[in-house]
Amino acid sequence: MRPRKKDFVRAISRSFSIQGSWNDRTMTGPGMAHALAPLLARIHEEDPAAFRRAVQRHSRAFNAHPYLAPVAIGALARLEFDGEDPDTLLRFRSALRAPLGALGDGIAWAGWRPFCGSAAAIGFVLGLDPLFAAAAFLLLYNAGHLALRVWGLRCGWRSGRSVASALKRAPLRRIERVLVPANQVLIGVLAALLVGQLPGTGHTVWWGGGAVIAALMGYFIPRHISAVAMASLLAACAVWLL
Amino acid sequence: MTGVELSAADWALACLLGAAVGLDGVSWPQAMWSRPIVAGTLGGLLFGAPAAGCLVGVWLEIVLSRHPPFGGARHPETGPAAFMAGAAYAAAGDGAPIGIVAAVAVGWAIGWTGAHSVTLLRRVTPSLVSRPEGFRGGAAALARRHRLAIALDALRAGLLVAALFVPSVLFVRLLSTQPSGAAGAAWWPVVAGLGLAGAAGVAARGLGARGRHWPALAAGCVLGTLLVQVFA
Repeated sequence: MRPRKKDFVRAISRSFSIQGSWNDRTMTGPGMAHALAPLLARIHEEDPAAFRRAVQRHSRAFNAHPYLAPVAIGALARLEFDGEDPDTLLRFRSALRAPLGALGDGIAWAGWRPFCGSAAAIGFVLGLDPLFAAAAFLLLYNAGHLALRVWGLRCGWRSGRSVASALKRAPLRRIERVLVPANQVLIGVLAALLVGQLPGTGHTVWWGGGAVIAALMGYFIPRHISAVAMASLLAACAVWLL
Repeated sequence: MTGVELSAADWALACLLGAAVGLDGVSWPQAMWSRPIVAGTLGGLLFGAPAAGCLVGVWLEIVLSRHPPFGGARHPETGPAAFMAGAAYAAAGDGAPIGIVAAVAVGWAIGWTGAHSVTLLRRVTPSLVSRPEGFRGGAAALARRHRLAIALDALRAGLLVAALFVPSVLFVRLLSTQPSGAAGAAWWPVVAGLGLAGAAGVAARGLGARGRHWPALAAGCVLGTLLVQVFA
């Protein structure tokens, strides 16, 4: 049977916990099967054995960005509904993993999240009430987050097998290309504002210049050195205390 | 002795809130109340000083952004870390630069401790739900075990806060109450400022790894410096 609207609502609400049972062996596989279950239950309503097999099939190893997992949920439900054979389903499932991971990392973790976080932080540093800044971050961020999940489920269900070309047509990469450099500017502004606010430093231009140089040094030094620097700071705290 | 009052009720509330922010990071619902700016504010609110907590949260936004969770890479657990650091600074920081540095260092250390605790938990989770050939117990059993795994994650975060909340407050308190004339005290704002700016550079590179965006970062720093002059 064709899934009803309430099945899609249940699937998307369960997708919020898709990483709830994340593990090194099957990653988000069990969470994926849990989120798909309401749709699978409707599709295989007349055949409980087929439903059980489908749940087992979809609890195998899987991984994708959590916000774009609804794309896979929709597309896999569509293929189940269309009666594709299990081998095709498993191959399709494997093929979805890498693109959904890379796309989600770019748009959500490198793009939208730092953008909203930096904007709210700058607002706070410039005088916004802290509770208002935190609430504004949550509202702005989750507006995009929810929209992405709902769009993903619809896109997956409507596109089915051709979900890859639907993703290619979607403006996600273009949005990422705008957000990533914007985030660099925002992080720079935020760092300079915080440094300028430190008591005892004065608001001198040379101090701001020092911050620019330090930020660029941070940009270019190898990653492991920055970890050593942080550990050194902790050690300095401890030594000074003693 | 430390001048900080912390009742058992405060501690219990901190554990509950810590569990909630820890749960949000990965398990449910990833609405990002585990981000430092929110969790830090929440920690500050616990001691009636949300602005102090938010300030530490903003610092941690920069410091902990160095490790984005790209491709499932291991990253510091920001929620309980910022919550405890924000609370510690609000309770004991006294607005001193050394207090911010201490709170950020506490947040960084707890972030990685949290990451290790997540790794440990994930050694337990496979026995609940993971089979290479797929879970055979049916949808209802899978749902029960999935919820159990989420509950275990909340318990883990709660225990993390239970164990580290008081030591965090004490650490920040001890550093913040050093006399201002103590050796090296005048250098803390410089160390903190340059360290933060460096951390911002590292975070910016981590988030824009696909391209070379350093001119945008430099432009942002210059713009921020100008804003400081305007708002000073």
